[in-house]
Amino acid sequence: TPGTQYGVLIKCDASIKAIIVRIDADQNDIIVDDLDDEHLLIKEAKLAELKQRLSETLKATLREPESSNSE
Amino acid sequence: VMDQIRLWEYEGERIEATHGHLMKDFSSEKEYLDVLHYAESLGVLTWKSDQKRVFFVDRIEQISAYLKSKKEKK
Repeated sequence: TPGTQYGVLIKCDASIKAIIVRIDADQNDIIVDDLDDEHLLIKEAKLAELKQRLSETLKATLREPESSNSE
Repeated sequence: VMDQIRLWEYEGERIEATHGHLMKDFSSEKEYLDVLHYAESLGVLTWKSDQKRVFFVDRIEQISAYLKSKKEKK
């Protein structure tokens, strides 16, 4: 019978997926399966950490720092 | 149960997160299509890739029961 794998399917645009792949490259413990250019299967236990690191990365990359002092 | 899909939004970027199971390692094209169509009929199919013969469902209970019943018939 076929195999089943529990996880969280992430659907996002390719640029976000590239960021997630880079975040995963640190310890390779977030992504379970790279499905296609807009879908990834990730470990449920790592979802909270991914969300946090992704929001930090996006905040840093997308918004030019107006003031020189960082928070 | 629609709360399976949680949407986050960061800086205008939309990301969908769906908890569920990836189905893979089908023994044949026939088995893949058979279980895939069953998942579609239940409305639990979230994503699929025909070339990879892999698909994702947000509920697994009925599919597991279906697979068990097919195995017993052999």
